[in-house]
Amino acid sequence: MLELDSLSKRYGEVVALDALSFSVRPGQMYGFVGTNGAGKTTAMRIVLGVLDADAGQVRWRGRSLDGDARREFGYMPEERGLYPKMRVLEQLVFLAQLRGAQAEAAAESATGLLERFGLGDRVGDRVEQLSQGNQQRVQLAAALVHDPSVLVLDEPFSGLDPVGVDAMATVLRERVDRGAALVFSSHQLDLVERLCDAVAIIREGRIVADGTVAELRGGSGRRRYRLLVDSAEGWADQLAAAVAGAKVLDRGEAGRPALVELPAGADDQALLAAAQRLGPVRQFGPAEPTLVELFREVVSDSPATNDAEVAA
Amino acid sequence: MTRALSFREAVALVARREFVQRARDRSFFVSTAITIGIIALFVVFPRVLSFGADAYQVAFPGPDGPALQAAAEAQAELADVELTVVDVADADEAERRIRDGSLDAYLDGDSVVVERDLDTSLRAVLENAHGSVAGRQALEDEGLDPDQVASALDTARLETITLDPEAEERNTRGTIAFFGALVLYGQLLGYGFWVALGVVEEKSSRVVELLLSAIPARALLAGKVLGIGLLGLAQLLLIAAAGVGVGVASGSITLSGAMLQPVGLVLGWFVLGYGAYACLSAAAAARVSRQEELQNATTPLTMLAMLSFFASFYVFFNDSGTGPAVVSLVPPVSALAMPIRMARGDAAAWEAGLALVLMLGLIAALVVVAGRVYEGAVLRMGAKVPLGEAWRSGRRARS
Repeated sequence: MLELDSLSKRYGEVVALDALSFSVRPGQMYGFVGTNGAGKTTAMRIVLGVLDADAGQVRWRGRSLDGDARREFGYMPEERGLYPKMRVLEQLVFLAQLRGAQAEAAAESATGLLERFGLGDRVGDRVEQLSQGNQQRVQLAAALVHDPSVLVLDEPFSGLDPVGVDAMATVLRERVDRGAALVFSSHQLDLVERLCDAVAIIREGRIVADGTVAELRGGSGRRRYRLLVDSAEGWADQLAAAVAGAKVLDRGEAGRPALVELPAGADDQALLAAAQRLGPVRQFGPAEPTLVELFREVVSDSPATNDAEVAA
Repeated sequence: MTRALSFREAVALVARREFVQRARDRSFFVSTAITIGIIALFVVFPRVLSFGADAYQVAFPGPDGPALQAAAEAQAELADVELTVVDVADADEAERRIRDGSLDAYLDGDSVVVERDLDTSLRAVLENAHGSVAGRQALEDEGLDPDQVASALDTARLETITLDPEAEERNTRGTIAFFGALVLYGQLLGYGFWVALGVVEEKSSRVVELLLSAIPARALLAGKVLGIGLLGLAQLLLIAAAGVGVGVASGSITLSGAMLQPVGLVLGWFVLGYGAYACLSAAAAARVSRQEELQNATTPLTMLAMLSFFASFYVFFNDSGTGPAVVSLVPPVSALAMPIRMARGDAAAWEAGLALVLMLGLIAALVVVAGRVYEGAVLRMGAKVPLGEAWRSGRRARS
């Protein structure tokens, strides 16, 4: 288990992390989302030991992290970086050796990864000769080449085309299924929702929501329904007025379904009955909020988010 | 598939990468080849020039030709002039050959014939030869026994008595050390710049964050300094071997222990000088994020190297007094100044020892200070990191 325990970090007056805590189990894919400057990169840098926390602790398998434990970690920094003039395979072997891998094993593993990413014929090229997307693939290979037990990836999917995203997601899923603990940050929330077993939403250096996407949805007990009634304009507002506690989130004019929210414990059949009284109901069903919607909700009912813009 | 990596192993991995990647770089090959070419020219060129200047084709067609020829050959050997005697039938043939350029001069009786003018060194040889032959002839004409004349002339020799018999050799060694220091001044700047460039390259390509997530900053710094230092030393040895090889092959240089001593001194002190200079370069370079800013960041170091450069001139041209003694003690200036005094035998053993201790002390201090500034600055992208800030944020970094 990778545990981040009450991590705090300040840059002068700016609070980057404020007692941030979460944990990732082996075999779990953990999504880490938040607005720019919320503290994601700072947290990841602290986990990798590139940055020191002012307070708090990072533990792996119950033990406080040191350089020796970190050799089991694979890292993809937000600031991508490889030696531009070094050849692809040599570079991967070198980086694996820095984490304590043997040269032969590293070469074998690197060759396998490069073939998976469709770069089997580019092993002898200099990194600077590759396209941006291919450099990104090599960067991921650098995080994976020594077969780490913990993967910390900062924005691994940014800059990739959909095919690249799928290839990378497949490889990552395999590693997680083999028991690796994976935490990655991303702004592509649909991707996080699709891939991750659990999600943490960070705002101003604190975790504001944490759990599986289903848990995040169920958290408030409120439920949403998408319905379409064959009636005159303004039917959605009439419907909300007829049902106690109902709230219109989207009026859905011009033949689009409306989105209505009921408070916890309200009877959805009463909503359906009220709709039928307005006209023929063409569509009625529960509408699960997407992670994007949950994220907006959690992040927007906050005061300032913009003055937390940190260099990290 | 991984196991714990010791600090030393991390340093060795980084050093090997620096060595191999740079050695394979085409610019390294080109610069080495050019340097060897220049050295070879320097070694061979004077030899080629001297061939034209101090070698002459001379003929002695007159009746006393054989006597003149013998005397001239003896004089030429004393004066280190190469004399080739050309056989000619008579003065007419000799004159013709002077006109077509295959003869430099011919001596006939009391006159020497040349096309335009007579070189000073050839004139001295021919005048002495003529004088001794004419003098012997005059004495024989007076009725003296030729053998007595010859033995009387032979005993009249000027003997040189040297009060300090090793002075000349020591001066030669000092000169070799001086020229060694001049060459190494350039290399010191060059290799220091390699270190600085390597640090900024890792910073601007952002690969440094990935590296530091695996190994401590000090291991990265030590490996870089070590790898580039070893490559520099290998390049120097290659250049020295090529230079000496060409020199020996062309006959310009005679190898002796007296020559190797100053070369060894210069190389030994160069390693120390590089240690200090490389640490400073790395710390200076870690503060900037782009190659364009590097020149500016390393200017104080260039000044320091130039100071050492001038100090080596000062010490070379002043062989006594407290000035040179003090200059050759101060690190890192001592790296270029001390070997000259040591090679010349000016420095007492305690002076050399003190200079060594001071230099090692400076390097030890620089490893700590530069290591900390490097740690504090190398992950900070963007504007140049102020020295104090780098120092303060370096404090918290782990070793």
